[in-house]
Amino acid sequence: MTAESQQMIAHIVELIRKPNVRIDENTALVSSGLIDSMALVDLLQKLEDITNMRIPAGKVQPKDMDTVAKMFATAQRVGKPRK
Amino acid sequence: MSQFQNLVAALEAAPADRPFVRFWIDEDEQETVTFGEFFSRARGQAAMLRGEGVTAGDRVVIIMPQGIPAMTAFVGAMMQDAVPAFLAYPNFKVEAGKYSSGLKGVTTNLNAKAVLIDQAFPDEMLGHISLAGDAKLIRAGAAVAGDFSAASIPTDSLAFMQHSAGTTGLQKGVALTHAAVLRQIAYLSAALKIDGAKDRIYSWLPLYHDMGLIACFMLPMVCHVPVVMQSPLDWVMQPEAMLQIISDHKCTLAWLPNFAFQFAPRRVPQKRWAQYDLSSVRALINCSEPVRASSMEEFRKAFTAIGLKPHALQSSYAMAENVFAVTQSEVERKSGPACVWADGQHFRARHKIVEIAPESPGAICFMSSGRLLPNHQVQVISDSGAILGDGHVGEILIKSDCLFDGYYNRPDLTAEALVDGWYHTGDLGFCLRDELYVVGRKKDLLIIGGENIYPQDIEEIVGNHPAIHDGRAIAMGAYNADLGTEEIIVVAEVAREESLANSIEIDREIRNQVVAGMGIAVKTILLKPPKWIVKSTAGKPARSSTREKLLKEHPELNIEA
Repeated sequence: MTAESQQMIAHIVELIRKPNVRIDENTALVSSGLIDSMALVDLLQKLEDITNMRIPAGKVQPKDMDTVAKMFATAQRVGKPRK
Repeated sequence: MSQFQNLVAALEAAPADRPFVRFWIDEDEQETVTFGEFFSRARGQAAMLRGEGVTAGDRVVIIMPQGIPAMTAFVGAMMQDAVPAFLAYPNFKVEAGKYSSGLKGVTTNLNAKAVLIDQAFPDEMLGHISLAGDAKLIRAGAAVAGDFSAASIPTDSLAFMQHSAGTTGLQKGVALTHAAVLRQIAYLSAALKIDGAKDRIYSWLPLYHDMGLIACFMLPMVCHVPVVMQSPLDWVMQPEAMLQIISDHKCTLAWLPNFAFQFAPRRVPQKRWAQYDLSSVRALINCSEPVRASSMEEFRKAFTAIGLKPHALQSSYAMAENVFAVTQSEVERKSGPACVWADGQHFRARHKIVEIAPESPGAICFMSSGRLLPNHQVQVISDSGAILGDGHVGEILIKSDCLFDGYYNRPDLTAEALVDGWYHTGDLGFCLRDELYVVGRKKDLLIIGGENIYPQDIEEIVGNHPAIHDGRAIAMGAYNADLGTEEIIVVAEVAREESLANSIEIDREIRNQVVAGMGIAVKTILLKPPKWIVKSTAGKPARSSTREKLLKEHPELNIEA
């Protein structure tokens, strides 16, 4: 697992505050009810910070943010260099 | 009163060259149509629908992503004197089977002639579409060119159908005539002093919701006001876009549910606020959830430095059953909507507003939703049905010449809601000095981020879990002051006490099932031993007594009584 993925997982663990839930790169977050849509903004901002890219929300669907692996794939696909 | 016979005539009368809808995806990708282009595209959709056999009075369900094609299809159906209804696009979280059965219920209830989906509707989601009777599935394609003459549309003809809530609620279609919609828009635009040549509306609100459909689509169409629109999903993932769009396009008006007044300042990094300018805004109207003075204050404090005028924050009380607004605060009052500080003890124990000094111990602040629109009446009644005077809290009843005639094909639900011409809203509130204050709900409806959710739908899913005692689950809303909206708390009894040892697993499974069924996340699930939930004399779970018990046992949940 990359350091970036670990950083994102640490952020999610802090966000959901559920000590008993284990999260890895492929844990479903939105479709499992662990995270609701209103928390997506946090994840997108964190993804921008970690990748140092600008990620236009208009090109991202919630399903693209369902796992940590999908988040980084999405950043690769639609991310633009920061102005 | 409106100068137009119907909504299509209002669109046709717009200045053809004036921009109507700018659909914003991101700063590099936007699409704009003028009123003239919009009218022409809608005619093309009308011709296509006519080619598919849609005629006057037919119900047409539209399931398309938020955007100009969905909007032109809607108006195209109206041009045929058909009755369109927007439904929410399938959400990847919701199981195909659940979505499909909800949709089948709606198309059956509406006896829909056609279900219109977009060209890009994913093939793998076609399984979500379930049709009733002889309804036809149509992919909205290229518009049909040629001469299309719009049907003659009588003013008392049904214009469209609004649906306001989740799966159960979807079968409560509110049918509205052109005349009722035009009356509502005439009253509201006068109250807001709308000027099509000067105003510009910003919206991220879904078109299947009354606030998105009436305030941000029908009103600008009739009053010839440009709109800059984005999809709700794009907004929720990047609320900063709201500040950017208002700044770039100098928007003057927007409607937002209460939670958005906190979501924006909390989720847009403070270091970037100074890039934006909100000085163009005349009115940001808090609507669709009970208005919280603290949420408004947070927004005002955050953005005054970037030009937000203090009196730009306004409020309104609205519902699909009345087309939209019942009240609107006075946009030119420099102090903004009225606030009253009331004694919390009197409010909770005696349901009475006793005004006390602001911010004194135990004081609660209520923000007004404004004054009634013309030809609107309100009554506040007690549990026994007695009409209450000023400052007494009870159920809000309304009567107006915009009010619906009933839920489509649902005389049972209509009879419960409409009694002697008065619509029983299920909301709790009080009148004071000619203004209406909305404080909560009598009905069990939850409002999560502006969306109406029926707790029964959640309880059914929870009750179906094998470890849960059938029928012994209660879903309730708990206001989260940090979010400015409610969150869902579920309390459920396990059938056998030893199941509590598997709480983590059961919690996970229930969470998955609620999301799969309804697309929403539950905040907290509390599993309790058998016989924990308080039952009514009829043997059913008693919601309010269970809530009180939960409040006592779990003060950490911070649930309001």
